[in-house]
Amino acid sequence: MAESITDDRPRVRGRVVVAFVLTRLGGALFVLWAVATLTFFALRLIPGDPALAILGGPGSQASPEALEAVRREYGLDQPLFVQYLTQLWRLMMGDLGRSYSLNMDVAPLVGVQLGGTMQLAFLSLALAWLLALGLATWSTRGGKIARSIGSGLEIVAAALPHFWLATVLILLFSIWLGVLPPISTPGIAGLVLPVLTLAIPLAGFLGQVMRESLLTALESPFVLSARARGESERGVRLVHAIRHAALPAISLSGWAFGSLISGAVVVETIFARPGLGRTLLNAVTERDVPVVVGVVMIVAVVYILMTLLTDVASRLADPRLRAA
Amino acid sequence: MQLSTVSRGVLPLATLAALSALLLAGCSPSPSGTSSSQPVSGGTLTYASGDAEPTCLDPHVGGNYPQALVSTQYLESLVSLDADGTVIPWLADSWTESDDGLTWEFTLVPDVVFTDGTPLDAAAVQANVAHLQDPETASSTGYLALKKVVATEAVSPEVVRFTLSAPDSALLESLSQPWLSIESPTALKRTQDENCAAPVGTGPFVVTDWVKQDSITLERNEDYSSPPADATHEGVAYLEKIVWRFIPESATRYAALQAGEVDVIDNVQPDTIVQAEASDSIRHLDAPRPGASNRIELNSSTVPFNDPLVREAFIRSANVDDAVTSLFQGTAERSYSALSSVEPLGVSAPDLFGYEPDEADGLLDEAGWTERDSDGYRVKDGERLTVRFPVSTNQSIPAEQSLFEQIQATAKETGFDLVLEPMDLSSWYAALAANEYNAVSAPYTKVGPDVLRILYHSSSIVPAPSGYFANLSQVSDPQLDTLLTDASQESDADARAALFTDAQDLLLGGYYLLPLYDQQNHFLLDSEVEGTRALPTVSAPTFYDTWLNR
Repeated sequence: MAESITDDRPRVRGRVVVAFVLTRLGGALFVLWAVATLTFFALRLIPGDPALAILGGPGSQASPEALEAVRREYGLDQPLFVQYLTQLWRLMMGDLGRSYSLNMDVAPLVGVQLGGTMQLAFLSLALAWLLALGLATWSTRGGKIARSIGSGLEIVAAALPHFWLATVLILLFSIWLGVLPPISTPGIAGLVLPVLTLAIPLAGFLGQVMRESLLTALESPFVLSARARGESERGVRLVHAIRHAALPAISLSGWAFGSLISGAVVVETIFARPGLGRTLLNAVTERDVPVVVGVVMIVAVVYILMTLLTDVASRLADPRLRAA
Repeated sequence: MQLSTVSRGVLPLATLAALSALLLAGCSPSPSGTSSSQPVSGGTLTYASGDAEPTCLDPHVGGNYPQALVSTQYLESLVSLDADGTVIPWLADSWTESDDGLTWEFTLVPDVVFTDGTPLDAAAVQANVAHLQDPETASSTGYLALKKVVATEAVSPEVVRFTLSAPDSALLESLSQPWLSIESPTALKRTQDENCAAPVGTGPFVVTDWVKQDSITLERNEDYSSPPADATHEGVAYLEKIVWRFIPESATRYAALQAGEVDVIDNVQPDTIVQAEASDSIRHLDAPRPGASNRIELNSSTVPFNDPLVREAFIRSANVDDAVTSLFQGTAERSYSALSSVEPLGVSAPDLFGYEPDEADGLLDEAGWTERDSDGYRVKDGERLTVRFPVSTNQSIPAEQSLFEQIQATAKETGFDLVLEPMDLSSWYAALAANEYNAVSAPYTKVGPDVLRILYHSSSIVPAPSGYFANLSQVSDPQLDTLLTDASQESDADARAALFTDAQDLLLGGYYLLPLYDQQNHFLLDSEVEGTRALPTVSAPTFYDTWLNR
């Protein structure tokens, strides 16, 4: 894309932008198709009869008539490839289909559950950033001991499994101290423990990256020259160093968002929160193919959007990237 | 009022008796004098279920236990059972059976109205039978129970007549189940989606909201008039509202109960029960489910369990008693019966199921499994004595899975290679349908001993198109078939009991199954929750008599 820098004629530049957008869009569509295909076949290759799952459940014996009716209703009597094509065609038409197990259309179902998970993921990401930034700046400002403490905390936090952390937090805050509810409640209180569970390990990851690049930045020439210009230590850190340190963390945030959504499967189940993660878990055990595909598609779309956003954010934070 | 611990290791009937006694005790002045012992009206009860969220709140559709649990609060059946297992009136005041057993007439309780204003009459009952028998409804449990009903007729607005193809001694027991509850015919005319979201019945509560994957809201039916004959009060329920939540994680459910966020939890695990029994603020309700006991079925259709000697050897080699004691910590009692201990006609045969490894060795020698391979497993004609055991991780709780591992360990000493294959529900069904199992544990809940016919009659080996069949030990014994068929058609209670006793003697003596314990069904209640009992039909708790002592 070096041409676009030298060639300032608006037409050519426009064409380049269009090509860029088209490539991005094509890539996104390919990802969505691959996701739909992989999930569909992965789920159908596992042994098990979805018709039984629809009617079944422990202890109930489905009658042949009922099974036949269900097979017809959901098109399960068709060959697998026909079912796949039907599903793909419907997806292209924007129709996510109908849930086998929940007796409702997938689109509104996923739409309702999306809100809860997004709220959880964004709050966790924000808190993780705050914790990581705080720890990174504190530990680089302090001496060697502070750095060891910081890095130790980060390593431990990053290694904590969600289910363990959730259980410990419930034990501590709900049972011993009795200050926070262990399950979702209408107010904000029910959000605290789930958000902490997701944010702490992520803060460990982000913190490690931030501290490293903060240290590099503080020793680099542009900080030296800023200091030489007489800028205050606080100014140096806020304007130059942190901005520099944030870069790798910003590009990690796209990935982090994906990991938060997978963490939501565990966290939503433990804290009994409605959301995509819990929907996905139920749907997988029920062999509810339309819901699994629907959730995975939505997550893929969100992931693609987040990657775009982090691209933009990186460009804003790093003037070097803006030229490209 | 002393309510801290209830029913540990006590027979379930005694449990119910004890509970009733406690309820009665609730009517006398409390010795402490600090809390009221007169039922108080009002308040919201929060119930936290660990079961899967029902996909449809109408238990006619499908028909499983999670549906039975919640629908017990808003739907009612024609008849119920009392604590002794006797059939008692509910929506039907009285009933008569013709001498040939082919015609039944039910007289309905007068002036009962569904919560949508539709009156309960003979036509309403007819509409419900039609709904259950319609393949479009996709009823499994209710459909099976009504298989012998060929026609219904409204004799008068209050009297409905059922015509049967053959006598059915289990008809009343079947009709008592929540899966055959009576719903408003007006509401049933709606689409299935609408009916699934908010079924309309005559119960003490009404479904007013259902936020999927979160909660169902039930509000008091202010015109309620039809409690079962054994309820402790009349008129509307005490509770104003029930919030029915779904909390899949066992530890979170208990934490929520301890934190006071919820008032009742179900699916309580053994370690939690032991913890809770040490607490003064939590009560335990032990309500084993009716029908079959939890048992390991030995597949008699293939090697090695087609040989009765090998079946007996396996049973002798399994140290179940010690494993149940250590893993269930006194919360479950060992069963020696094919039927649940709440079934009055269950035959218990402790002598048949003892742990005798020496005898097991002798039996295997006699059966020709004389050699052992380098791993210590028995071998015959170059084949190892392998027992494939698919375990449904959805249905077997962790303690039960550990129990299977203990059985695996003791059976190994005798030379059985018990291969545990944990799998999810769909894969598990598939393994059974493909006959890829030698042993399996499958729960089955049904009211009455007729469950034996479903589980052990040879006609239940014939798979449905899905491949699923109920006779998992694949017993095929003409003598047993005759006994079970005769029992299902015998209307004389004593003769019926004798037939079922003979059938169980034959079954247990054939070593087709290894009984473990009752189908566990434990609830923990905040001690402020008073007057809750399990309905003796399928042991689902009813909150009609419940009040909050806050």
